[in-house]
Amino acid sequence: MNKQHTALTLAVVGHTNTGKTSLLRTLTRNPEFGQVHDSPGTTRHVEGARLFVDSDVAIELFDTPGMEDSMALLDYLDQLAPPAERLDGPERIARFLESPESTRRFEQEARVLRQLLACDAGLYVVDVRDPLLGKHKDELTLLASCGHPLLPVLNFSQAPRQRLDSWRAGLARLGLHAMVEFDTVAPAIDGEAQLYDKLALLMDTHAGLLDRLKTEIQAQRAMRHRDALRLIAELLIDTAAYRVSAAPDDTALADATQELRHAVRHRENACVAALLKRYNFNTRDFPSHTLPLQGERWGMDLFHPSALKDMGIHVGKGMAAGAMAGATLDAFTAGLSLGTATLLGAAAGGLWQSADKLGKRVMGRLKGYRELSVDDALLRLLALRQLALVHALDHRGHAAREMIDINPYLEGNKKTLWHKGELPGALYEARSHPEWSTLGEHYTTDSRRKAAVDAVIAALKLA
Amino acid sequence: MPEPSGERPPAGRLRDHWIAEVIRLRETQWGPLDDGKEVRQVLARGGSFAERVLCRARRVGARDGLDETVDTWWRGARLTLLALAVLALFTGAGAAMGALGNGTHAVNLLLALVALLGLHTLTLLVWLLSGFLEPDNVSWLTNTWLWLTRKLAKGPQAALVPRALLELSNRTRTTRPLSGCISHGLWLIALLSALLTLMALLAARRYQFQWETTLLSADTFVWLTHALGWLPALAGFPLPDDTLIRASNGLQPLPDSANAVWSVWLAGCVVVYGIVPRLGLLLWNGWQARRGLGRLRVDETLPGFAELRERLLPVATHSTVDTPPPAVFTPQRRASSSVAAPPCPAALAGIELAPDLPWPPGPLPENVTDLGRVDSRTERHGLLQVLHDHPPERLLLVCDAGQTPDRGTVALLAELAGVAGHTQVLLLNHNTGRTPLWQQQLTQAGLPEQDLVTDIPAALRRLGTGNDTTGGARHE
Repeated sequence: MNKQHTALTLAVVGHTNTGKTSLLRTLTRNPEFGQVHDSPGTTRHVEGARLFVDSDVAIELFDTPGMEDSMALLDYLDQLAPPAERLDGPERIARFLESPESTRRFEQEARVLRQLLACDAGLYVVDVRDPLLGKHKDELTLLASCGHPLLPVLNFSQAPRQRLDSWRAGLARLGLHAMVEFDTVAPAIDGEAQLYDKLALLMDTHAGLLDRLKTEIQAQRAMRHRDALRLIAELLIDTAAYRVSAAPDDTALADATQELRHAVRHRENACVAALLKRYNFNTRDFPSHTLPLQGERWGMDLFHPSALKDMGIHVGKGMAAGAMAGATLDAFTAGLSLGTATLLGAAAGGLWQSADKLGKRVMGRLKGYRELSVDDALLRLLALRQLALVHALDHRGHAAREMIDINPYLEGNKKTLWHKGELPGALYEARSHPEWSTLGEHYTTDSRRKAAVDAVIAALKLA
Repeated sequence: MPEPSGERPPAGRLRDHWIAEVIRLRETQWGPLDDGKEVRQVLARGGSFAERVLCRARRVGARDGLDETVDTWWRGARLTLLALAVLALFTGAGAAMGALGNGTHAVNLLLALVALLGLHTLTLLVWLLSGFLEPDNVSWLTNTWLWLTRKLAKGPQAALVPRALLELSNRTRTTRPLSGCISHGLWLIALLSALLTLMALLAARRYQFQWETTLLSADTFVWLTHALGWLPALAGFPLPDDTLIRASNGLQPLPDSANAVWSVWLAGCVVVYGIVPRLGLLLWNGWQARRGLGRLRVDETLPGFAELRERLLPVATHSTVDTPPPAVFTPQRRASSSVAAPPCPAALAGIELAPDLPWPPGPLPENVTDLGRVDSRTERHGLLQVLHDHPPERLLLVCDAGQTPDRGTVALLAELAGVAGHTQVLLLNHNTGRTPLWQQQLTQAGLPEQDLVTDIPAALRRLGTGNDTTGGARHE
């Protein structure tokens, strides 16, 4: 029998408040699925979700209410079908589903059992922080009576206080040897792959389908990462190329610094919002100042003097501090792209606007205007913060409800090229192309900018 | 008028990509647009991610009138191009008339050639040169055209339209071919008009051709005429012979046939050095542009497109919901039946405690019966049996607040409370944050709130003495 083309249906079952809806949220990458709350009986009906491979439904998952009263239900079953009758599991369950109590006291349990009977297999979600108790064993007895494969999913296995070993031992005693650790809040990078691998062991008729799903998930992950690095690279090029000009007096300089800072902050927030959207985490909190990010490092302003030190970024001597922190002052030369080729090209090709801009800049130079741009250390800071965010998003389940924490990455990676090494040459090139910055007024793009973005992406990949 | 071939009306694919690019620029610059309805429509239609991006853009564009903006800009751009073409027409004609003069003076051959082809040759060389230096460079004619359309466009949205076109052409590497189409096309018009004017004037008037020099010798002109005329001669334009060239120094009258030969030589130069290269480059660039635009794809990693992936091509969708749930079944404590002479005044039992929690939770007073931990179904039945047989006056049930109070546990507690005279529930680990849940569930089941306690020694003391006033800290 070839079941390759039919979707695999899975019932997500388990004791109440163990994270069944959370598992669906994480597997479907949808933080809006169902309702999640730390209390019993949050989900009270069956709710389905479909997972796609090449726009075909591969898996249909059903979130079910929690089992809460399995002991009393087993008592009731003994009453309905006494052991002496020697009915097998599915027959006993069928008799229960026809009984009056299946619509009253055991209404939730009846829904679960009915759904499991209708599905190919069940994922039994366990909160490994809870002790393995008699009621769990009774629950498994009931679920096993349905005669469908069950795969225990050990949720919260990354939590500090958990009883993973006792659950493994206990489940093995009940005859459930295939099981998978899957933390819905902080899933391992290959967590989903492991889950589908184990499932393929239980259901070899669907192994091909599950394999395709696994490949699809890996491809999606790679695509997300690629897109994320592009977003960061664009941020860095935009920021490196950005220039603000200021009249010679000090007030104008201070104003220009403020303008520069404001624009860069705004641009960083836009990048964060884009990343969150790409990873399908909540971005309803636009505008970006209410982003769900926590920790000193996010709270700390980009331009705060200790922001760099805190991130372990090497700060050279003579770096501007105080009112000018984060900004570099040029005497209007570095910003002029006076390369021979460019100049020739501009003159030869009659680059109308370029010449126009060039004229303005030369006039500015004559009048003693100065230009502000973002300094190297700030570029490092931006790159590290965004990389840390991407890392956090890569490791975050869609069931997570805490603030996004970028500290684990920063503590684990202290010596990347973004901390100390030489910045990619493309960023220096961007400094001499103010027109590359979308923050500026005269944004134009060309193939050199695209090449610079690609170079920065390559450097980000190394970090 | 030859229309530059890369500039077809923005129909179909190019227009879709164009509108998508305008929306992308707008969203990356000013934040996301509200597109809930459009995304639902796109999801219903299906297709690849690129198709979905274009479909969303089409719908959002139609809603916000962006397609109108694009079309308006396009009309303006065509109009500007037409105006430039007319200008080129007049310039060409003017150049020809200027080169030949009104016929009262003899035409200086070299100056006429420079007037007809000088600027053209110079710009052509610059264009070729700039191609090597800056591949993205755009000709100054194209820049003039873009600048003019910008002056005509109104509002920031309209300003995005040409920018989007530039982004698209940069991405497909067609900026230079497209710009070449415009500039070569305009030059072609100018040169054709110059040629036609030239022929018309030569047909209608009598011109004398001559060369003039102060410094150079006649041999130089012979050589120059041959050099310039060599290529046109290959194309069939006859070359003046040496004696004719030497005779055309303006000092002696020429026969009419000689002037005819010179006029054909001049026309040959305009055709071969002016019209043919421009036409060739126009065709070449047109072919390049057409091929480049044929390669037009949605760059899925671009900021503004990349973020749409999860929404336009979700890995999962919501499917079904079964019947809505009925009211929650809440277990209720039943009134305790009158109890005859209790054999034990006080009892203690642990309900569903983890094996690693200590038992009993503290030193027990003398008169308290320890009924042990109760977990499995058999243990539950045993406990209920014991309590029914010997109902205690005071019962203390110990639970773990770290667990979730499910319906089964609450039902058991309610049943046990119904058997004993006075029941209190002691919560261990009450600082785990689920204590309010226990409180809520037990209150719903009919256990009064003051019977839910968290202070272990006080609860055990009270269990021993039955004295309610010893002041054990209750859960607040």
